[in-house]
Amino acid sequence: MTTTAAPAGTPAVRPRQARRAPSTFYRDPISCLQASFGSVVADAGHDPLAALGARWEFRYIPGDVRSEEFYFPEREPGDTAGSMMPYHPAHSTWFTPETAEPLEELAALIENGLAPIAAVDNYHLPFRPAYHDVHAAHLVLIYGVDPGRGLVWVADPMPPAFSGPIRAEDFLNAWGSANPADHQDAFFSDARIDRRHMLLRLGADWPADDPATLLAALRANHADLTADAHDDGQWTGVAGLRRFVEHVTRSAHAGDDDALKQVYTFGWSQQAGCSLHGELLRTRGRQWRCPALREAGRAVEAAAHAWTGLRVTAAHGWTRPAETTADLRRHGDRLAQRYETAASALTRAVTELT
Amino acid sequence: MFTIDISPYLDNVGATTAGRTATGRLNVWNNSFAAENLPPGGSNVMVGGVPYVMPPFGGIDPDNIRCAGQYLELPGPGRAVDWLHLLATGERRVEDEIAVHFADGSVDFEPVRVSDFWAAPAAFGEVPAFETLMHYPAHTQFGVPASVWSQRVPVTRRLPLIGIGLPVNAALHVFAVTLQPPDGTRRPAAVSTAGTAPSTGAATSTAGEAQPAVPSTAGAR
Repeated sequence: MTTTAAPAGTPAVRPRQARRAPSTFYRDPISCLQASFGSVVADAGHDPLAALGARWEFRYIPGDVRSEEFYFPEREPGDTAGSMMPYHPAHSTWFTPETAEPLEELAALIENGLAPIAAVDNYHLPFRPAYHDVHAAHLVLIYGVDPGRGLVWVADPMPPAFSGPIRAEDFLNAWGSANPADHQDAFFSDARIDRRHMLLRLGADWPADDPATLLAALRANHADLTADAHDDGQWTGVAGLRRFVEHVTRSAHAGDDDALKQVYTFGWSQQAGCSLHGELLRTRGRQWRCPALREAGRAVEAAAHAWTGLRVTAAHGWTRPAETTADLRRHGDRLAQRYETAASALTRAVTELT
Repeated sequence: MFTIDISPYLDNVGATTAGRTATGRLNVWNNSFAAENLPPGGSNVMVGGVPYVMPPFGGIDPDNIRCAGQYLELPGPGRAVDWLHLLATGERRVEDEIAVHFADGSVDFEPVRVSDFWAAPAAFGEVPAFETLMHYPAHTQFGVPASVWSQRVPVTRRLPLIGIGLPVNAALHVFAVTLQPPDGTRRPAAVSTAGTAPSTGAATSTAGEAQPAVPSTAGAR
């Protein structure tokens, strides 16, 4: 991940707000990352599922996993949105404030019609269940700043789904938190927040939501999923997934608790993308009367659901990694098998859709 | 239908009272259901036409099986069954297999699909059984509903069933099991509406003993 200094805003003690609260995009398998991006995409008048669900891949980058709910292994370094939505004109950049008036910088962005996505520590946010209890890195959308009244407008699509003003002091604490290691959350704590915010920019040449567009995506996805193993620092495709499963089980056997903690965090990025792709194929298969596409979607969703066994086994077992080795192997093998089954189903869907 | 006594296998606390939420162990963050929103332990409850016997929802004793490959052995020579009904929930969406064991030694693996308990819809067409407040170790939480589902698993082989092998999947929690025999041998449950609906879900309390409870033989494989 790279960060860039934001352009300085013009200090002004006046409220700045978006014309309306952000949309809400939520599915139970996704994280705050997909939810935040989906909300911005929806507000631009596009279907979040079509954009976030078009790409299906496996990608693991050794040494890259950070203990944040919004961690995502990027094929385009520093461009999370471009990595998640490679078939759409969507790109994102992380920023950190460059002035002593960080809220003014956010306000200037809002005034220019942008929706900054801020990294926060849930511990300091009164609307999060973790408030004054658990430290955890999270994302929220910022859509208003009122320096005079000391308020910041925050939208969080993740349950309990808040949208409204909070005290600027609370937001600044969350935004600037050290997010210290917290034994209650081994997966999303111990990662500094550092007042980062991300901007998602969407291009005008948005592709059509039609069979030809999806067909091109399916072909590219399938080619990448079924490619032979290679080693360019990233483990990709089903071959990469098999290598990842081997890495996890060997790490568990060797007593590497950090490796197991990362399975839950990393796995969320993969499970979420997998689930959205499956839903997209299923729903478009119904819309376009293409049974093979519906079946492929369901097969992809079954792969998404296989992430649960691996992630939850690792999450419950990281304090005693060696004991979990056999179960991790079982769930990992099933996960890889379901990816292979889904890849086969994609082949049929491509044929029927062509 | 016949309810199964799974009490020897209960090993996880999934529901807590507001006064002692810290004992919940439903997921890795120790969330739990609000016991106050659930029927009392031992009561008979109908969910979508299926009777279940409630486990002890009190936050002290275990109230569910966290699936780790337990084998629920049915007593006697076995009985014909068309459906297994599970009162269950998932720590995220679960899609796994249950091993169905028959009297002649044959075994079938049948899909078991259970949705997430945490602020989620029924992804697999389950019947929502109960929806409660979400309990956290240090507080109770509005706006994040916690769901228990009623799901069914097919038994396709027309042979007497002698046992049920649960999957090795820590994300799957089973609170109650009921067997549905083939239509010709089905005994209608005596449903009463005298009880108070325990939640916003589809469950209905029953006042009488609708069906016999079948004990299972303790033991794990």
